[in-house]
Amino acid sequence: MAIFTIDDVEKTFKSGDVSEKILKGVDLELNEGEITALVGPSGSGKSTILTIAAGLQKASGGQVLFEGHDMTQMSQEEIRKIRSSEFGFVFQSSHLVPFLTVEDQLLLMLDVAETKLNKKQQKQEVAQVLELVGMAHRKEAYPSSLSGGEKQRVAIARAIIHKPKMLFADEPTASLDSKRSKEVMEIIRNLTKTLKITTLMVTHDEEMLPYADRIVTMKDGLID
Amino acid sequence: MQMAWKEVKKSKMKFLILGSIIFLVSFLTFIISGLANGLSEDNAALIKNVPNGQFYLNEDAKQTYNLSKIDVDQQDKLLADYKGATALSIQMGFVNDADDKQHSVAFVTSTDSELFPNVKDNEVVLDASLKDDGIKVGDVLTNNQFSGAFKVAGFAEKQTYSHAPVAFISMKNYQEIYRVMEMQTVFIPGSDSPDSVKGLESFNNKEFLNTIPSYGAEQMSLNMIIWFLVVISGMLFAIFFYMMNVQKIGLYGILKAIGVKTSSLFSMMWYQMLLITVVSLVLSVGLSQLFSLVAPAGMPFSLPIETTLLLSVVFLVIGFIGATISGFQIKKVEPLQAIQQGEM
Ligand SMILES: Nc1ncnc2c1ncn2[C@@H]1O[C@H](COP(=O)(O)OP(=O)(O)O)[C@@H](O)[C@H]1O
Ligand SMILES: [Mg+2]
Repeated sequence: MAIFTIDDVEKTFKSGDVSEKILKGVDLELNEGEITALVGPSGSGKSTILTIAAGLQKASGGQVLFEGHDMTQMSQEEIRKIRSSEFGFVFQSSHLVPFLTVEDQLLLMLDVAETKLNKKQQKQEVAQVLELVGMAHRKEAYPSSLSGGEKQRVAIARAIIHKPKMLFADEPTASLDSKRSKEVMEIIRNLTKTLKITTLMVTHDEEMLPYADRIVTMKDGLID
Repeated sequence: MQMAWKEVKKSKMKFLILGSIIFLVSFLTFIISGLANGLSEDNAALIKNVPNGQFYLNEDAKQTYNLSKIDVDQQDKLLADYKGATALSIQMGFVNDADDKQHSVAFVTSTDSELFPNVKDNEVVLDASLKDDGIKVGDVLTNNQFSGAFKVAGFAEKQTYSHAPVAFISMKNYQEIYRVMEMQTVFIPGSDSPDSVKGLESFNNKEFLNTIPSYGAEQMSLNMIIWFLVVISGMLFAIFFYMMNVQKIGLYGILKAIGVKTSSLFSMMWYQMLLITVVSLVLSVGLSQLFSLVAPAGMPFSLPIETTLLLSVVFLVIGFIGATISGFQIKKVEPLQAIQQGEM
């Protein structure tokens, strides 16, 4: 059963008089708990469909169904609520909050997601997740003192700490070397499998494909 | 807002700079306000010491007290009708001491009253500042328009008018010096809504102060400076928060992407603004009060705590508005933009 359905989604960008249709009717179903890798040439629209699915921009046409509810019909506030409690995000750069320690980044996410945990439970949760991504020893550190791989682990921890149903990842390993990339993918796979998180991941790195359950190729604004 | 406080802790320098700007501007504002108030007391303590009430001037006097003459019969009637009413006159003049040194004074005379000293003929009660000029009780002072001489009967604290010390004299002596029988004005204490009196125009204390020519101009310039400073500090707030917000556009985008409410981002900014402003204001209020204790004796400086508190509230409101206007860009931030911009 598909938890997430992208149905005939179109996206047209306008700049001045010129309008360009980037997505030409994308259909994609994501199965619960699976990792779907989205591959394809640069400029084919992978990031665009991922961000539309994640509720970060609007489609020009079509439907995006999350658990049967059409997100294209929802208000900004409804989408924000879904993003904060049901979705997690990892991007090419980690986008951590510069003035928060590793631990505080995760506590913030728990607050934003409005999880019903008290302070002590939150701290325990954070400690556990940091253990899982191998960053427990750096919980007092600020992002500026972390390496690229370490930052990405923290970003992954932040993306899943509130136990979302969906994880959206746009080239999460693009800024890392091959060894670090594999470590990070290992972590993503373990975590999403343990927590039964459905994952949509854009990548153009062949080495990452073995970590996916399913590979979908995009070309010229359409699923191949 | 924990996040707001954590940012202040991490970016100490940035907030310290903002705080010191607010501190300096508010401190400057307090000091100038202290001077304005000090000058105002120096100028017109005589009137400022009088309780609230109404001053009646002749309608023909064109709102200038020393052109006003109140008809004697009308004056008698007013004094009889209103309890505590006083007729008084003020004229600038000089007295000469035993060494023939001239001192400029404001001669004041009044009918029997609790508000002003009652002085016997040929005696004078002087503002205490003349003690610094070496004048003592028992000294004899003269005036070239006056046939007799004034014996200094005593001193009164803080009685100045038009920046000159007041010399209280008797009505008879006053009438001789200035060759008028009528008094300039009748003061009726307490009446907030003045009774209209035929042929007379009423002024409350504040309005009466503004009929002193130097007073209005002086206070206007100083008040201009004060409000300019307040407006400038409001702009500083807006500009500073604007710059801080611009730097944080990427961060705001990410926070929005992970689902932080726009209202939480505003609260974060308000919390920081409030924290910085309150700390800075507490310091500048404290320091300006300290300054008013140690201000040199010759400097007309008077800064009631109520004035600083009132200005502080104005600063808070202005800061709030400045920060909020600059915060509208938070509303506009698109989460996607920030993500695509890459590393902050
Ligand atoms: N906000 C935008 N405005 C205009 N064009 C855009 C915008 N975002 C993406 N595009 C265009 O859409 C196309 C697909 O972009 P993208 O989805 O980022 O591709 P991919 O991730 O597959 O490399 C590109 O040609 C890009 O220039
Ligand atoms: Mg892309």
